[in-house]
Amino acid sequence: MISCRNLSRTFGDFKAVDNITIEVEQGGICAFLGPNGAGKSTTVKMLTGLLQPSTGEAIVAGYNVARQPMELRRAIGVLPEDLGLFDSLTVEEHLLMSGPIYGLTSAETKSRTSQLLEALGLLHGRHTFANQCSHGMRKKTALAMALLHDPKVLFLDEPFEGIDPVTAKTIRDLLTLLASRGVTIFLTSHILTIVEKLATQIDMIRAGKIVWTSAADELPQSLEDHYFELVEAPPVLELEWLGSNRS
Amino acid sequence: MAGLKQILAALSRAVWRELRSLNSLTANNFFLVCMLLMLQPQSAFFLLLLLGVLLLFPLSSDPMSKIPASRLSLWPLTRGQLILLRIASFWLSPVVWIAAAIVLWAARPLMGFQFFLVAAAFHVLSIAVSTLLARAPNANLLLHLPPVPTYLGRLVQKNMREVLNMLDAYLAAVMAICGTIYRITKPGADPDAFLGITILTVIALSTYAQCLFALDSGSGFTRYKLMPLAGWRIVAAKDAAYLLVLFPLVLPLAPVAGMAAGMAALAVGHHASVLHRRPQPRWRFTGGANIETGVLQVFCLVSAGVTTYRTAWYFVFLSAAALAGSIWYYGRRLDRMR
Repeated sequence: MISCRNLSRTFGDFKAVDNITIEVEQGGICAFLGPNGAGKSTTVKMLTGLLQPSTGEAIVAGYNVARQPMELRRAIGVLPEDLGLFDSLTVEEHLLMSGPIYGLTSAETKSRTSQLLEALGLLHGRHTFANQCSHGMRKKTALAMALLHDPKVLFLDEPFEGIDPVTAKTIRDLLTLLASRGVTIFLTSHILTIVEKLATQIDMIRAGKIVWTSAADELPQSLEDHYFELVEAPPVLELEWLGSNRS
Repeated sequence: MAGLKQILAALSRAVWRELRSLNSLTANNFFLVCMLLMLQPQSAFFLLLLLGVLLLFPLSSDPMSKIPASRLSLWPLTRGQLILLRIASFWLSPVVWIAAAIVLWAARPLMGFQFFLVAAAFHVLSIAVSTLLARAPNANLLLHLPPVPTYLGRLVQKNMREVLNMLDAYLAAVMAICGTIYRITKPGADPDAFLGITILTVIALSTYAQCLFALDSGSGFTRYKLMPLAGWRIVAAKDAAYLLVLFPLVLPLAPVAGMAAGMAALAVGHHASVLHRRPQPRWRFTGGANIETGVLQVFCLVSAGVTTYRTAWYFVFLSAAALAGSIWYYGRRLDRMR
């Protein structure tokens, strides 16, 4: 369902993504992990057609990302890094706008909108303009937009960050259900405890290069230990001035 | 005390940046026309007065409002320091400088005081409106703008809200209201006068046609990239919103000529809107791409409006054809940029 070969992206002299190859089967949940600035969001942007790759090719949901952009847009749902919301629309209006654009009837759009608003705990703030919402509400709105048209492939850039634990669990259960129904999911996250319970495939990226690819159950140790070993060990901080007044 | 000095320095930087955002006015078509009319000062006085009155809203804002309330309450400032900050920040307001200039430079203390009172009234009005909206968000009239009944209706609704978030729309509305009152109170007035007011109304709104994507922000533009919509449809949804705001304004004056002029303004403005996207702050006058584009836009819209009014109404279709061609071409350019 997601297949990319030798994908690279360069910004001036900086190689943000360096020759990566990723394969995700239909119904798989691929967690794409790495530290800030490793190239996760750039990869998501290239796979969703938001950014042209410098080299390489990607096929998503059977469509060539570079050559069939319109077909690709209809087939995928995306929670982008910047959420892709309009300041002049309310939470509910974002969904009501999105449905007809993806070919849903008015009745379908209204029914799915109310279900998603309820499932994601957005009912109380549905008439709030996006620029007046909390970050969590904005993220949930963008997630609802990604789900509304029942996409074949979902790309979620940090879906659990800034979300309360109950909604995070709801989202996790929802994603598991979607995957069991054949939807392919590609997500990035820093919350390893959620990822460990959810993902069927783990890919790790560091400084633009893939450093680990395997099925989730083939990890040699816990995800957190493996992450710290392969991607980034936590630094030892020596900030002597912190708390020094109290000693 | 050192902390207070730093806060005031940061506050004055914020005020200065906001003042610089008003620079956009110099590339605004209406302002350019006013400058041209200054060759005959009496005819420009009323138009400049309108601009000045609308500018009082952003100018009269409280400098202290630039500090987030939560941040202000978290800073370890004593009550005395807060009072000092309040007094000092008062002198950072541009309105106070203007009033002081009138008093000291023009030596007209009464006029300076009157100006200050008017500005203070504007400030109280803005605070009252924002307090009302914070307490009762449903009172926001833009929230109740109905969607257009098509599958792009919500997109058009969003675009209309964006047009109505710029001062240009209100300047055009004031022009149109003045024209309508003139029409009602002077039934025997020269019909050409209505054409003139219509053209001025369209000019007031025309700079926005150079910045159709200005309020979408990076996040909004990401959404456009993800939508399975051809570029021409996105541009057409922008134009539909613009024309829907313009139509009721020109309706009591010279509607066909007004729409012809509006369509010409859009056809010329697409180039800057699509290829040179520049964000604009809300509740300001739109700043155009450059003076050349503004001059071309005003020339085309005046020609379209006058020709339609003086020659035959069906010349409006010429403007519509130019607009359709422009939508198609710049829609393709937008697709390539996506």
